[in-house]
Amino acid sequence: MSAPGEIEYTRVRDLHGPLMVVEGVNGVGWDEFATIALDSGERRHGLVLEVDRDLAVVQVLEDTAGMDPGGTRVAFSGTPLRIPVGTGWLGRVCNGRGEPADGGPPVLGSVDAPVGGAPINPVRREPPTEAVLTGVGAIDVLTTLVRGQKLPVFSAAGLPHLQLAVQVAAQATCGGEAFAVVFAGMGLTHADAAFVRDGLAERSAARELVLLLNTADDPVIERLLTPRLALTVAEHLAFDGGRHVLVVMTDMTAYSEALREVSAARGEIPARRAYPGYLYSDLASLYERCGRIRDRPGSVTVLPVLTMPAGDITHPVPDLTGYITEGQIVLSAEVHTRGTYPPVDPLGSLSRLMRKGAGEGRTRDDHPPVAAQLIAALARAREVRELADLIGRPALSAVDHRYLDLEDAFLRRFLAQGADENRPLDEALDRAWEVLLTLPPSQLGMIPAALLDAHRAPGDDHPGAEGTPP
Amino acid sequence: MTAPADRRGTVPDVSADALAPVRAELVRAARADADAVLARARADADETVRTARAQAASLLEQARQDGVRDGAAEVTGERVRARQDAWSRELAARAEVYAELRAEVRTRVQETLTNDAALRTRLRERARALLGAPALITAADDGGVTADAPGRHVDLTVHALTDRALTRLGAEAETLWAP
Repeated sequence: MSAPGEIEYTRVRDLHGPLMVVEGVNGVGWDEFATIALDSGERRHGLVLEVDRDLAVVQVLEDTAGMDPGGTRVAFSGTPLRIPVGTGWLGRVCNGRGEPADGGPPVLGSVDAPVGGAPINPVRREPPTEAVLTGVGAIDVLTTLVRGQKLPVFSAAGLPHLQLAVQVAAQATCGGEAFAVVFAGMGLTHADAAFVRDGLAERSAARELVLLLNTADDPVIERLLTPRLALTVAEHLAFDGGRHVLVVMTDMTAYSEALREVSAARGEIPARRAYPGYLYSDLASLYERCGRIRDRPGSVTVLPVLTMPAGDITHPVPDLTGYITEGQIVLSAEVHTRGTYPPVDPLGSLSRLMRKGAGEGRTRDDHPPVAAQLIAALARAREVRELADLIGRPALSAVDHRYLDLEDAFLRRFLAQGADENRPLDEALDRAWEVLLTLPPSQLGMIPAALLDAHRAPGDDHPGAEGTPP
Repeated sequence: MTAPADRRGTVPDVSADALAPVRAELVRAARADADAVLARARADADETVRTARAQAASLLEQARQDGVRDGAAEVTGERVRARQDAWSRELAARAEVYAELRAEVRTRVQETLTNDAALRTRLRERARALLGAPALITAADDGGVTADAPGRHVDLTVHALTDRALTRLGAEAETLWAP
């Protein structure tokens, strides 16, 4: 009887892109983790994709470039890839495979867990509740992130999504409860990786951060592993360690492209835009690992960031992501062009679980009506702007002009925020009120009268303003 | 033709008397205007000075606040850098200790194999058990063995045995640096 990994197999029949076919294997199972030794002394790693009698197809994480079939030995671990988990990860910076990139020893843990994760029993799932406050006014007020939720950021090339992801990761809190952030960067340039490290230095120094960085020049296949490592570490920190954990994964489009590359190498029949047909279920296997579990402390909240190629929201990656997740934060090129950061499109963004995290006893009692009224007013402002393009501003009514003023005030007073500004929720809501009060009270019908009276300045009635041309 | 000259000579005297109040009023009005302009100029000057002083005070206050904020940001940045440096050094020290542990384990395994013939025999038996009797067994330079059969290889060198031992040790290695 051999212990797993003791026997190395030496008959490599074929090397093809990221795939290696080994023959003569015995007792090897699907998804097993493999260690590959090269004659040069280098060690690489792989996962078994397929087994057929004595043939095993191994996906090599570091790619097969430079490998000699005659000088390669492969040992199978007997189990899917497992990693040590625990608080040893906090404060560490690792590459996309979880190997230290910070000069420290390997990350150690008293227990280990499979990176594939175990699906949460639906019966034991608790619905998401309570907010994760990000310190970004537009997110906290209009698309509140709720503990256990999966809320993606839809962006496009050239927009500051990485800046926003880093800001959220640096500032997010859970009302004083134990909190940690796991940041998984995929396909980042070295400049972006340095930006992430610098931006999260304070959180890392406070041992509240796990940073996994797969850079653009790292093996593409490694990207398939990075989010799974991040989620495995997060699950343990949350459900065994009692922390609320925010997992930021950027860029999921780079991840999906890696999936497409492997799928093409395996000769699978391509689906939309050559992505594999199982892209939906693969993305779901990641996003669905967030949540809360009954009788267990902590929560895992997922904030995936993805870039929409050519800004196309119907592209398979944002499209399928939208089916799985509970809302989206959309970044707008138009708002970005106007010089406003963060360029969140308030009308395209939505947090479906916001009601579970906002309101009396959670954030502030005026939060839900203010958010709803602000969105409604911005929708009307957009209509007015389009109308003004057709008939000219002089033909608009006085109230219409107030809506245009509101849109302007929204951009300047509410949305605009420094990239290092941690805006408290109270201040963000007060700014929302300031923007709303640009309108006459008669236009604020979604806000209860008592709340409106409490926030209106005396004499702010503007009688006769409605319907009168200027 | 002298009458007109007489009329002209008489009229100036009468006109001079008649215009005296006008002249006086003009002079008075001019002086009043001058006084008003002067007063306005003085008021403007006072206002300008007041505004300049207020602006200077405001700028000073703003500069003071900016200085406090920049100073606080600098202190925070410095504190973060210091914590990071300390943590980096701690990680480097841990890595060094871990590498020393690995080297120590390797040395001890090598010594044990060198001094214990029975253990060397057990390694060979283990290799044969894994690959079968016809396996080709080769003594490794570091004291262990390797074994080969068609398509299969077993590595029982000191290097490989050390790696496996440390993997099994797992988090126990943290006792090297845990408080």
